[in-house]
Amino acid sequence: MWKKTLADLIAELRDDENVIHWHELEPVEAKTRPLPDTIDEKLRQALETRRIRELYTHQHAAFEAVQKGENIVAVTPTASGKTLCYNLPVLEQIAEDSTSRALYLFPTKALAQDQKSELNEIIEEMGADIKSFTYDGDTSPAIRQKVRQAGHIVMTNPDMLHSAILPNHTKWVSLFENLKYIVIDELHTYRGVFGSHVANVLRRLKRICAFYGSSPQFICTSATIANPKELAEALTGSPMRLIDNNGAPRGRKHFVFYNPPVVNEPLNIRRSATVEVNRLAREFLKNQIQTIIFARSRVRVEIILSHIQELVKGDIGPKTIRGYRGGYLPKERRAIEKGLRDGDILGVVSTNALELGVDIGQLQVCVMTGYPGSVASTWQQAGRAGRRHGEAVIIMVASSTPIDQYVVQNPDYFFERNPESARINAENLIILVDHLKCAAYEIPFKEEEAFGPMDVGDVLEYLREERVLHYNGGKYHWSNESFPATNISLRSATQENVVIVDQSERANVKIIGEMDRLSAMTLLHDEAIYLHEGVQFQVEKLDWAHKKAYVRQVDVEYYTDANLAVGLNVLEIDRTKEQPVSAIHYGDVTVNILPTIFKKIKMTTFENIGSGPITLPEEEIHTSAVWMELEMEEPEKSLEHLLMGVANVLHHVVPIHTMCDRSDIHVSSQIKAAHSGKPTIFLYDHYPGGIGLAEDVFKRFNEVKEAAKDLIQKCPCDNGCPSCIGMGFDGMDLKRKSVELLDQF
Amino acid sequence: MSMAKKLQRLKKHIVREEPPALKKEEPPEGIRYWDVWKAEGAEVFELDDEYCLTRETHYDIDTEHGKYTFKDAQKIIRQWSDFKGNHPLSAKGFQPSDLFFFDIETTGLSGTGSVIFLLGTARIWGDQVTVKQYFLPSPGNETALYAKFLQETDYSTLVTYNGKSFDWPQVKSRHTFVRDKVPSLPSFGHFDLYHASHRLFKHTMESVKLVNVEKEHLGLERVNDVPGHLAPIIYFDFVERGDPEGVLQVMKHNERDILSLITLYAHISSLVLRQGGNADDRISYELGKWFEAAGNTAAALQSFEQSAQSEERAVASGAAYRLAMQHKRNRSYEEAVSLFLRVRTSGMEQSIDAAVELAKVYEHQWKDLPKALQETRWALEQDVEKESLKHALQHRLQRLEKKLSK
Repeated sequence: MWKKTLADLIAELRDDENVIHWHELEPVEAKTRPLPDTIDEKLRQALETRRIRELYTHQHAAFEAVQKGENIVAVTPTASGKTLCYNLPVLEQIAEDSTSRALYLFPTKALAQDQKSELNEIIEEMGADIKSFTYDGDTSPAIRQKVRQAGHIVMTNPDMLHSAILPNHTKWVSLFENLKYIVIDELHTYRGVFGSHVANVLRRLKRICAFYGSSPQFICTSATIANPKELAEALTGSPMRLIDNNGAPRGRKHFVFYNPPVVNEPLNIRRSATVEVNRLAREFLKNQIQTIIFARSRVRVEIILSHIQELVKGDIGPKTIRGYRGGYLPKERRAIEKGLRDGDILGVVSTNALELGVDIGQLQVCVMTGYPGSVASTWQQAGRAGRRHGEAVIIMVASSTPIDQYVVQNPDYFFERNPESARINAENLIILVDHLKCAAYEIPFKEEEAFGPMDVGDVLEYLREERVLHYNGGKYHWSNESFPATNISLRSATQENVVIVDQSERANVKIIGEMDRLSAMTLLHDEAIYLHEGVQFQVEKLDWAHKKAYVRQVDVEYYTDANLAVGLNVLEIDRTKEQPVSAIHYGDVTVNILPTIFKKIKMTTFENIGSGPITLPEEEIHTSAVWMELEMEEPEKSLEHLLMGVANVLHHVVPIHTMCDRSDIHVSSQIKAAHSGKPTIFLYDHYPGGIGLAEDVFKRFNEVKEAAKDLIQKCPCDNGCPSCIGMGFDGMDLKRKSVELLDQF
Repeated sequence: MSMAKKLQRLKKHIVREEPPALKKEEPPEGIRYWDVWKAEGAEVFELDDEYCLTRETHYDIDTEHGKYTFKDAQKIIRQWSDFKGNHPLSAKGFQPSDLFFFDIETTGLSGTGSVIFLLGTARIWGDQVTVKQYFLPSPGNETALYAKFLQETDYSTLVTYNGKSFDWPQVKSRHTFVRDKVPSLPSFGHFDLYHASHRLFKHTMESVKLVNVEKEHLGLERVNDVPGHLAPIIYFDFVERGDPEGVLQVMKHNERDILSLITLYAHISSLVLRQGGNADDRISYELGKWFEAAGNTAAALQSFEQSAQSEERAVASGAAYRLAMQHKRNRSYEEAVSLFLRVRTSGMEQSIDAAVELAKVYEHQWKDLPKALQETRWALEQDVEKESLKHALQHRLQRLEKKLSK
């Protein structure tokens, strides 16, 4: 049989009745400017070798601004040559003055390693004696000293900066004395908890630079978000110039919204998105067209992977379709990335882990299982297909969730909407105190010294009373035996990961991955089915005390899904908006989280085929929340459904307006709240101390409320469906009441 | 006129002999428990708003510390002048007073936030040993501490226990903080006795911690000693409350460590200088390996000769093998072969290597192919673990068989 081309498949897709919107992005020509005259001759020749005789407009603007001494943040879509935005000014500076140093920060180790090889190629072509090194956990002790003393360009990640470089700054004197540039790549990834930590790490970095008499410039690059300048300024504490005149060319792109057919008319239930994704991906893959499939969770990745591997078994080898997500070991990931670049791997099923700038070359097709959750994220995933030239197809397959249905049925919402803002809260007290300790450990803290905009005098006094610091001669000195950075993880509230141990073969027990503690509660409990590279494992024992999950390979027809019981107590109300019959509050709460049971769900039909208890200790966090109290005459049963329905809609709408992951903000409803006895819906930050999401919701409540109302009203169902407030409420008239409820606020 | 020349001309006017700072009779305000410190012989050094405490203790040269007196130590150090060849610990050309015994106490493990609160030094001066300790009364007085330390310190060689990887890097790190205000750190030689002890004693000791080496080899037993790992807690408690009782014990501990360095250096020097003549066979064997690594063949041979006679089979065959290799290098094949034969039949770990060496001599030097073949076959019959060695042996076997079949 003849293989179909991409053009054939596009034509077929145009006739598919489930395609409800087709958006074509016209090709864009390159906009360029000549190389600046001032560029070093060797550097110019190296660029010539790569046939770069002109710069894209954004690269040119970045170079000029940096030359003028400005801090910049360049907004660069995927494959627009963003690395030149920083490599060019940095190499120019080092070529001029070889004592100059630069520090590159990448969100992950993998990205740093990618960039090192690329940078070293240019350096080699320059024939210049410029040394660039990665410095991370894999750097062998033998060359560490060389990196510290002689590395012109040191590439690392925030975690390594935090735990290894800054606390040992006296070993890095030549770097800090001569630091000219700090490059922050993938700036948009530094948001939420992680971003709040990194902002504080950068405060420590700037402090150490000041101690050694340097004041480096920042060069940042970011994917498209609404507030790159604001984010860059909040992260670095320095004024920024925004560079957003992208001049890179782009090939034609077809952006297709696909809505699975309705299989149950009265209940408005559609066929599962996963099933449709499997079918669509198969068409492309069996015609040898390189395809990336995005899914929203690790479990979903593994399920889709196993289905597709099964579907294309006869057509192509199983090893040419791979999974990619957090929890795979680095070696495994590097092999997959390389396979994609070389074309040995035809298809990859990934979580948003591949949204980042990991180099996997140009793919032709991108299929998304559901709306990725934010406009920014969607464009980044879409950017994986068709990088500079040629046609590409992006298919978004909607799931039944409210927001997916809203997005595919209101294409203008997506295509005309600005991407979201990324927010951090560097003043989160827990995070701030942790980094203040590290800062005092690194260099004694002067009484009048600033650490961000907040007055930290009280914090220092508190730490002195706790005998962590010792005050003497106008300075706070570290006075504790411990090494504070080791106990502080930038990535998550929980410090220790759970290690996953495969004991399928007694003679060959091995570690196959790891997972953060909160996720482990729901994914690695006893008897959970854990999927890894498409292979099913059952958890035989979760050793919570030692943070180890022992798994054994199995072959079953179901996966598991865990339930959490959440308890909420209001500690303090900070702010209140009174409405005629209701009130919205913002303040501090404690949340108690306890996994209760898990369900076994059949893979083919998604029906519930059994359940079991989970016995794990309760986790408690203090955090910020926004909650809505209302007065409503309503029978208890329907009140409960009503609150749950509205809460469900809010949980979908809020992450879109605050640009956070759905797991960063949680929703809970109570028909009689413990503190007031009133029906209440809570939205809280899922991080100790809060990271500013609930506060953001409080400030922009009208916007959130209108979006929620709009979603419910536009849903075509009669009495509620899984795409809005949920289902099974016939005769309760809940759809109308939900809107009424929201109107109270 | 260039600036440098100008400065040179004006030198007399610019560089003046600064009169020494007048020593205050009264301690600066705020030193708690000064009477206790004073009774312990402590003195105050002030610099701007900072100060540190120092204490000097003298020991008569005839004092015994372990199985040597300091006078013995002095004598042994002088004996290096007659030593021939190289050795990493050689004090040839040094006066005993050139050695600077050094040990620190810190508030934590390595990292910039870990502060050195005690610098301890000892030197053999004429007819006494002088211990001088520099104590940081609280964080924030490091300029005074390092100014005083560096002002009094002119050393050519440090003697430490693990100072290459711990004490000295830590001094460098803390010095970075005050480098604009105090003299820079001088360069120097460094004898790290931890490495030496590790070489010589690790085979017979579970851990070569200094206290263990003292007990096993120096005839020292510590009584009422504060364990080193408690030092940080004791120091923080002192900073909090000011009572020097605990810290004085830490200072005593530090002094013992430094004095033991003198004894240990004397002991190891004496082992090296007598080339194992006064040591057991195992140490003699390890000394031989050390000489070998230092390129001192003559001394290595002598140590191996002794240890090859050992009743401890592992030592004897190890020494015999190395001795044989030396003979082979010197083209003394008769001696080499007889030793290799002994090793090959010893049943110890070197026997396969010995067979390989025998095969080489038989094949290339003595052209005795059947014997070479016999040794190669024997080696292959053993349980050869290393793949590369197995491969080389098979290769040798084929070549020999081919040569023989011609």
